[in-house]
Amino acid sequence: MSGRSRRPYSPRGRRCALIALALLGSAGLAGVQASPYAPSSDSVVLAELPAGTRYSDLAARRLARERLDVAVPLAQFYIQQSRVSGDLRYLGYADAVLAPWLNQRPAAPEALVLHATVQQSRHEFTDALATLDRALAARPDDAQALLTRATVLRVLGRYPEASSACLQFAPRVDPQIAQLCIQSLRGLNGQLESAYAALRQVSPQGWLNAEKSWLYSELGEMALRLGLETDAQRWFLQDLKLAPTDLYVRAAYADLLLRQGRAEDTLAVLNGYESFEPLLLRIAIAQRQLRDPRLAPSSARLRAAFSAEAQRGEAVHRREQARFLLEVEQQPQRALQVALENWTLQREPDDALLLLAAAQAAGHPAAAAPVLEFMRSTGLRDARANLAYSAAVAAR
Amino acid sequence: MSIRRHLGLPALWALLMLLGAVPAAEAHIASNGFLSLAVDRAAVAGALELAIRDGELAVGLDRDRDGKVSWGELRASQAALQDYVRGHLKLYGSQGECPLSFGPVQVNARVDGNYLWLPLTAECGGALKRLSIDYRVLNEEDPSHRGLLTLRAYGEVQTAVLDAASGKRPFELDHPSPWSAFIEYLHAGIWHIWSGIDHLLFLLSLLLPAVLVRRNDRWEAVPMAAPAFRNIVKVVTAFTLAHSMTLSLAAFEIIRLPARLTESVIAASIIVAALNNIFPRVTEGRWRIAFAFGLLHGFGFASVLSDMGLPQGARLVSLVAFNLGVEVGQLAVVLAVMPIAYLLRATALYRRALMPWGSSAIAALALVWLVQRASA
Repeated sequence: MSGRSRRPYSPRGRRCALIALALLGSAGLAGVQASPYAPSSDSVVLAELPAGTRYSDLAARRLARERLDVAVPLAQFYIQQSRVSGDLRYLGYADAVLAPWLNQRPAAPEALVLHATVQQSRHEFTDALATLDRALAARPDDAQALLTRATVLRVLGRYPEASSACLQFAPRVDPQIAQLCIQSLRGLNGQLESAYAALRQVSPQGWLNAEKSWLYSELGEMALRLGLETDAQRWFLQDLKLAPTDLYVRAAYADLLLRQGRAEDTLAVLNGYESFEPLLLRIAIAQRQLRDPRLAPSSARLRAAFSAEAQRGEAVHRREQARFLLEVEQQPQRALQVALENWTLQREPDDALLLLAAAQAAGHPAAAAPVLEFMRSTGLRDARANLAYSAAVAAR
Repeated sequence: MSIRRHLGLPALWALLMLLGAVPAAEAHIASNGFLSLAVDRAAVAGALELAIRDGELAVGLDRDRDGKVSWGELRASQAALQDYVRGHLKLYGSQGECPLSFGPVQVNARVDGNYLWLPLTAECGGALKRLSIDYRVLNEEDPSHRGLLTLRAYGEVQTAVLDAASGKRPFELDHPSPWSAFIEYLHAGIWHIWSGIDHLLFLLSLLLPAVLVRRNDRWEAVPMAAPAFRNIVKVVTAFTLAHSMTLSLAAFEIIRLPARLTESVIAASIIVAALNNIFPRVTEGRWRIAFAFGLLHGFGFASVLSDMGLPQGARLVSLVAFNLGVEVGQLAVVLAVMPIAYLLRATALYRRALMPWGSSAIAALALVWLVQRASA
């Protein structure tokens, strides 16, 4: 057989070529780029390690296995890191820290609440509710568990249940904070004007920054739904001054700028935030409006993120994916499909707007019927929905 | 969307936040490892790719603890990485665990940052019908880590998402569909004729004079297309018939010849065909040379097939596909070359330069092959 090795053809080589082809073929799926290489110098830096991701941090994690008073703050740290950086890996590190405390019988209630927060951050809302029920069974008065429950129910569009979680939680916190929880739900539940007026009366003196930030972003979103864009802009800017690392407020503010056709301002506000997919999406939308050549790399990164997520069977960024298909890729049919799927997972005002817009763009305004039904039964109002809303109503 | 951010922050949590809230430059998809494997009978070859950050968590790549991982540090950590992967990724064939060995680590740039790329091979003892994979990479450090598997075997590609929770995952490999086998072997046939330059040189040596006719010891252009066309068809058909016959006989292991003999005779056949253009002995009926040596070229093709193996349940389909691929590749070359030869046939370039000197060059090249193959 040795004669063959000298032939210009090698079956093994062909096999490698085929594998390479197969890998290239799946490149779109997995986001494979280029091919492996050996850097030219030992000093080439391959990666910088973000906070809490070093091998030496594992000592703290080992300690967290033995001591709940180490595990709880460490898990909180990772969850907070994931919020300020948008980095989903931190949620996995939180899982690792919490695992031993969830596996013991009975599970530690503190660990259950944090676990529910992780599940909520991954948009596993139904699982989060089940975990919270376990935590509340052990500690029916746990304020953190009740607040998280209110949040999850609200994201699911289950406003009456969310309101009663707020009422349960009210006696255990500052009455003004309780008001914030209750009024923000009234604002979704058909009493938008009076809720907005009530929240404007709240004076956040002596509040923690995080609490003030919550107030301003609620006010900003209510103003948007009322069609008061100037007010909304003021609230969002106030909020951003207070919490510049809050990625969700930044996203809301960027959306307002995009609505006003201020694509260049959008890019300025989001400069340096490309690592967070929801913000990268807004960047891509602005780049598309400006015909910016940097749109191609932004889109490639978003596509890779969505397809990796799909491959894992997760749905953290369904909303962003639908919006990407609608506003960047301009594929309204596929956008509608994903927006419908997203509507089964979460029902915030943004999800309703998205489905209305996708249905209209796809030429199937009737596909938005679930949103109309939702708005009718909850009393949700949104000035931004008008055009697509009337089209959907007309299509019934 | 706002209350979800709100948690009454205990003092310690706020303190820890100060440790590092710097927005990083890379995208933040969840942690994925990419495991690509290709099965070739008992052997598995492929690579595991892990984000540099994940490699750090697994074995501690940042040796000087400056918060950065350099290429030098990655290279210095190879042994630790290999040990880690041996302990966290296990492949099983029908005869139990397949021992892993590793190649030198490299770097792959993906959209979400640099990944370390660790080539690996596994020997599974017997031909694989089922491969079981136990993937526990990073499970203790990040339970949300997943291994995205691309498994290629016998022309089929399977993908799967692996994690520690699902334990040992079996993948069935022995059911290639006849259609996928057909496509794979068709490709292999075409590839083989294009990259196996010796078969083409033999055929071309026989076809160069097809647009000429021998008169008074001189090459003259054929007056019309028809005789040239007849010459080409006869040579190509004879070659095809001959090598198809022996390829089938060898593929079903009815006749077996030592590779060294067939390879050497193939080289010799090129010399004969090329010399016949310079010192013509056979001028009419070159198809006989094509047929006679075509029999041996068929054994040459068969050695490629025996290397690939014919898939169970699709043996005949694969053989026909491979043969068809060879014909397609061969016809493509004939169709590309012969019209040009026909157009140039009356020129001095063709008859006085290309015929003698081109044929000499081919003969010289084939002579080198003959010496190499016969002495191997």
